[in-house]
Amino acid sequence: MINHLRQLVTKSSFFFLGIALYINAYPAHLKVFHLSMSAAETGFDPVMTSDLNTAAIEEQIFESLLTYDYLARPVKLVPRLAAQMPQITNQGKTWLFTLKKGVIFAPDPVFKNHRREVNAADVAYTIKRFMDPKNRSPYKFLVDHKIVGLNALADAAKKTGHFDYDAPVAGLEIVGPYQIRIHLTGTDYNFGHAMAQPMFGIVAREVIEAYHGDSASHPVGTGPYMLGEWIRSASMTLVKNPNYRHELWHFTSQDPLDQPLIKEMTGKPIPQIDKIDIQIVEESQSAYLSFLKGELDVLGVPGQFAPKVLSGDQLKPQLKRQGILLQRLVDPSIAYYFINVQDPMLGGMSLSRIALRRAILMALNDDEMIRVIYKGQAFREAFPIPEGVAGHDATYQSLINYNPREANDLLDKMGFRKDKDGYRLEVDGSPLYVKYTTSLTSQDRDLEEIMKKSLDRIGIRFVSEKLKFPEIIRAERSCRVAMRLSAWIADYPDGDNFMQLWYGPHTHENNASCYQDSEWDKIYEKSEALPNSPERDQLYRQLARLLEINGVTKVSTSHIRNVLIQPWVLGYKAHPILPSTWSYLDINSQGDHH
Amino acid sequence: MAGFIVRRVLQMIPTLLGVILLVFFLFNAVGGDPAYILAGKMASAEDIANIRHQLGTDQPVYIQLEIFIRQIVTGNFGDSWATHESVAHIFKTRLTPSLILLIPMMIIETLTAVCLALLVSVLRGSFIDQSLMVISTVMMSISLLVYIIVGQYLFASMLGWFPVKGWSDSLWRDITVYAPLPILLGLMVSIAPSLRLYRTFILDEINQDYVRTARAKGLTETRVLFTHVLKNAAIPILTNLLMGLPGLLTGAFLLERFFAIPGIGREIILAVERSDFPIIKAATVYVAVATMLANLLADILYRYLDPRVNLK
Repeated sequence: MINHLRQLVTKSSFFFLGIALYINAYPAHLKVFHLSMSAAETGFDPVMTSDLNTAAIEEQIFESLLTYDYLARPVKLVPRLAAQMPQITNQGKTWLFTLKKGVIFAPDPVFKNHRREVNAADVAYTIKRFMDPKNRSPYKFLVDHKIVGLNALADAAKKTGHFDYDAPVAGLEIVGPYQIRIHLTGTDYNFGHAMAQPMFGIVAREVIEAYHGDSASHPVGTGPYMLGEWIRSASMTLVKNPNYRHELWHFTSQDPLDQPLIKEMTGKPIPQIDKIDIQIVEESQSAYLSFLKGELDVLGVPGQFAPKVLSGDQLKPQLKRQGILLQRLVDPSIAYYFINVQDPMLGGMSLSRIALRRAILMALNDDEMIRVIYKGQAFREAFPIPEGVAGHDATYQSLINYNPREANDLLDKMGFRKDKDGYRLEVDGSPLYVKYTTSLTSQDRDLEEIMKKSLDRIGIRFVSEKLKFPEIIRAERSCRVAMRLSAWIADYPDGDNFMQLWYGPHTHENNASCYQDSEWDKIYEKSEALPNSPERDQLYRQLARLLEINGVTKVSTSHIRNVLIQPWVLGYKAHPILPSTWSYLDINSQGDHH
Repeated sequence: MAGFIVRRVLQMIPTLLGVILLVFFLFNAVGGDPAYILAGKMASAEDIANIRHQLGTDQPVYIQLEIFIRQIVTGNFGDSWATHESVAHIFKTRLTPSLILLIPMMIIETLTAVCLALLVSVLRGSFIDQSLMVISTVMMSISLLVYIIVGQYLFASMLGWFPVKGWSDSLWRDITVYAPLPILLGLMVSIAPSLRLYRTFILDEINQDYVRTARAKGLTETRVLFTHVLKNAAIPILTNLLMGLPGLLTGAFLLERFFAIPGIGREIILAVERSDFPIIKAATVYVAVATMLANLLADILYRYLDPRVNLK
């Protein structure tokens, strides 16, 4: 009896031990990458996407025709769904794309167990969707008025309430099952950048129609991952797409810093990571503590945590000791002050108005901004096109630098005398003030203080106007914002995306300074017709100088992005443009890190 | 009783209408135009007009108001303007995490506060009573935000007793792994004011003549406290509890945000930030209705607990 019991206990122990080992062994083989995002996703229909976090997830689920090379700096367009780079003819007006063969959409019940291959009609359908008024696409501007015949289709849809996807569009010529020739309405050498956006990830018409009205909940693409579990606004997992084609990690670079990474990753099938676990963590502290605890694998350092993480531009020793790595890169963005040229008080192109604007811009202390607002994670940028974006000029010297004394001299010279309180008046003796528009964030409160101090130095009254963000945009578009510190991040890495901010016809759209100068506009239009070249760079320098001469804008800063990486993450290199690069990474799965 | 309930329900209609008008005109005055956000940063005036047309915000005010009232009557608030998710689905999925936090918090807070209030009422004036009151005052004076920041750092990051943040789709895992720390921190703020309030209610009863009579009749202190004092003190305690019920529908924004819990509080704040009117409308109407129903329930329970109360 005792022996029986002993045997039973021994056997059952082995049985349960086996089960326990099996259960615990499974996760050890599964490579899971953990990361957080600071804002909730907004659904996964690429055509409706406007935020970077959603775009980052879509970058892994969908594939656009082109993408950016993982390692090349400055960034370089490379094929993704396209078999090769497009043939560009007719002075940048005709683009011939040839698709890779045998690219299959991720499995979905809509396909009824068929392996659905991507074809040229899918590309045409994907592009057409941007012009469907029902989709309200925030990225419509990338194809709006650019493709022959496409706007006529959109205009018809506005009248009838129905967008006819079956109607042929002259500009979307399907040459064959794997070829599409796109005819543009004018020269546009940046069209390739549009085709590299995650929003232009190719979708299947039958999927969109099957999930009509709920396509944002059913993302089906050809990318390396597909959506797994999803708790809206909280967390989601991406799992490997079983239909993803056989592709190997093959990136090259001349940068010595990239060589270990290349050695580590070359030849590995893409993707290496089995599952990506994404949590929405809005609070910086929660994300930072999670990272320190090893619950997250990478972390974009929130601005206010920079002093905790960095000593100068180096990682703090205690973090280095944990094997944590730091990568820093310049964001393809600028912060810039603009003054509304149509403002009743500051606007106008007379000598005294231009002098007043230039004096105001000279009084602004960028170094204080960098120290107080950006915690040292920014640097003075003079050119309207930031580093890493085609057209950037690192040697450009600004005319408008911080110099309150010179600003005061200029105002005195132009007759803006001071009243008994020490504040300046208009030349005719009427009150003079700068109405500065901000939103309601704590950062904006700090910014207001700096602005007030800056303007006090030159004796100009500061009046603040606080609005909710949508109202700021509305006021800007109505030319009702007198002055503001604005920011612009590259939609695509080309100078045109920045220079268009001051183009006259863009008043009531992006041109918040409402600057309308025929000379400036002519030079800009000339630049639009040119590819990235020294000739175009020369035009950009002229445009930047004119903005300063007329006291329209002062480019203030560019920002530094700091990324912390856990020691077990392999192949990571921060990319300035791609919203996510998770499929190019690997996890050193020796040991349980989480 | 039935007549009273019918009358009260009828009285809710003008109140609800007042709430509807207030929310509607407030949002239209200061809510911001979501079209400028939804349109993206490179939108033309035509794009913005198209979005307004689709959202119905280009309609005359009286038509927008009519649509709002129709939505309340049918209970269908449409889809979120920002994410296209149906408002009903948002409330259905986001309410559960908030309730997983708030219901245990409410139960633990009430039981703890009542027990401690009974203890300090019996020992009023003693060192224990005075110490607890001082501690309560100190705890009430500290903001929930401080508790969260310190608690998260100490208990989750340094000591590692809890995860720093997170939520799952398993109820058991949420209750046992993710919810305990936010509940604990929430209780640190909520117990103190309840304890002070309930102590006042109980002391009011302890000083009544019927308590002296009960003691004179030789009843044990336990019997006096639990049968007589607590039953009468339960009326204002219950009222306080019922008044707190509608708060369950608005979640615990700070806790949800810091612990990455997909609750309704976080969703409502997000809706306000995005000027997502369908969610704001639904939340306001639900809370208004819940508040009125809680009031009605409190009155009915009053009648049950105190037969001297007449419902007119």
